[in-house]
Amino acid sequence: MMEALGFEFFRNALLAGLLASVICGVIGSLVVVNRIVFLAGGVAHASYGGVGLAFYLGLPVLPVTTGFSTAAALGMAWVTLDARERSDTVIGVLWAAGMALGIILLDLTPGYNSDLMSYLFGSILAVPRSDLALMAGLSALVLLLAGLFSRGLLVMSFDAEFARSRGVPVRFLHFLLMALVAACVVMVIRVVGLILVMALLTIPPFMAERRASSLGGMMLLSAVLSAVFCVAGLYLSYALDLSSGASIIAVACLGFVLSLLVPAGRGRRGPA
Amino acid sequence: MQHPAIEMKNLWFAYGGQRVLDQVSLTLPAGEFLAVLGPNGGGKSTLLRLLLGLVKPGGGSLRVLGQQPGQTGGLIGYLPQFTAVSASFPITVLGAVALGLVRPGFSGLTGWLNPAARRAEREAALLALSRVGLADQAGRRLSDLSGGQRQRVFIARAIVSGPELLLLDEPTASVDGKSRQELMALLAELNRDMTIVMVSHDMSTVDGCVTSIACVNQSLHHHAESRLTPEIFAQAAGVDLRATCPVELVAHGPVPHRVLLDHDHPDCCGGAHRPEKKDNGPDKGKNIGTANAHANGKDKGGAA
Repeated sequence: MMEALGFEFFRNALLAGLLASVICGVIGSLVVVNRIVFLAGGVAHASYGGVGLAFYLGLPVLPVTTGFSTAAALGMAWVTLDARERSDTVIGVLWAAGMALGIILLDLTPGYNSDLMSYLFGSILAVPRSDLALMAGLSALVLLLAGLFSRGLLVMSFDAEFARSRGVPVRFLHFLLMALVAACVVMVIRVVGLILVMALLTIPPFMAERRASSLGGMMLLSAVLSAVFCVAGLYLSYALDLSSGASIIAVACLGFVLSLLVPAGRGRRGPA
Repeated sequence: MQHPAIEMKNLWFAYGGQRVLDQVSLTLPAGEFLAVLGPNGGGKSTLLRLLLGLVKPGGGSLRVLGQQPGQTGGLIGYLPQFTAVSASFPITVLGAVALGLVRPGFSGLTGWLNPAARRAEREAALLALSRVGLADQAGRRLSDLSGGQRQRVFIARAIVSGPELLLLDEPTASVDGKSRQELMALLAELNRDMTIVMVSHDMSTVDGCVTSIACVNQSLHHHAESRLTPEIFAQAAGVDLRATCPVELVAHGPVPHRVLLDHDHPDCCGGAHRPEKKDNGPDKGKNIGTANAHANGKDKGGAA
């Protein structure tokens, strides 16, 4: 590990992984307790349209993808507002439509794009400094917004119906949460790719939920777990010459299985 | 409390072109304990959502605590249906109750509270918890509690803001028989301080505890009495008594049971469905003067 730290690309990768871990801990927890895992998957996959758009227009990938996935997320937020009938089907359509758009735009782009796979499965070892800066900026923004609206997000996540009855602007919070998910997805695309994003968004929060006694605690614990998975996966990928994104997810999945075998603490009784 | 708790006239609400509620009029004086009965899909929950301002009526007038619905903030306590909350949500009992103090609008969204406000919230939540008899559970994880205890936590959340009106959606569903009795006793006690409207499909919880009954099945019939009559039963179940036997549970042996008194009210269900409570006064006293009648409720009903 120490020798690896001598390389700039490895230090960048480690930094990217840690940034993504913090954001995944916060946003992944909100995704899990709000039961919008499927929605988050839709945003992640639809954001491939943004990657295609960036290549087609010859613009930097991450900023364009950020804009595109935010638009897709807000669209999905609108579709799912007030738990509309068949909204899950519409999400499924948007999910596929975004990916198809991305692939078609890439087909139309002249030249061979070797970089394609890296957006599907991550390329954390090739994160340039400019992306790192954007990721840091996005993290700061996400943390700021989540912190500013933490009370509202907690009230909505716990019981949206009750929150509505108390005049809490739940619709605004729903849009806000989806925009945060979009920002989070863009950040994690670099780390594990948009197909594997779901694992980092769901596994650490799931493990943390049973052991935390507050939403904040759940976020903190899942961020720590994410960081452990990222660092361990990164090291394995370096040492064994494996794909970085898949290594990180493999470690996370292993942790997931182990956590199921170990009973949850805190004097928990009764059925789960 | 100069206003009636609820005042609705010729209210209607349509869902997808079909009228779920039609021609609904009701005046509920403050201090009542109203049970809203009716078949599934009859519009009970829609009625609650109208009162909360979660949906807008298609027409007619509606005032809650003398105000437009949705403007009442913490003056209405609300217990949503049990299924609304995930059982594994990471939160302590005290934390869940404190969420009932959230302010309406965008000012309620921000996360930072000064220490004094935080302490005040904590004390209010502890007070509400002691009212429902769970002060000793404050620090536990909500998911560690039994179903009946959890329901009482949600009642504490509903009353932590000191509401004048408490709206309950199926409070006794999914709790066992003993917890159900305790819950009803708790609600009867809370009724001393606030008006209660309870939606229920469980008619056994109603008898004796409430001060009046509303049968909702697209229309609304308000009965100013606390006991079930065969007619109320039929309306609430949405069945025709002549065609169906209302007693569906038959058991052998010494099963605890309760047989209601003969119903000798001459004109209750022969057309007097409107909430003219005072007119029923003399008859009412005779009717509910049984061991089952709730003394508190009776006094309030007579004074209203």
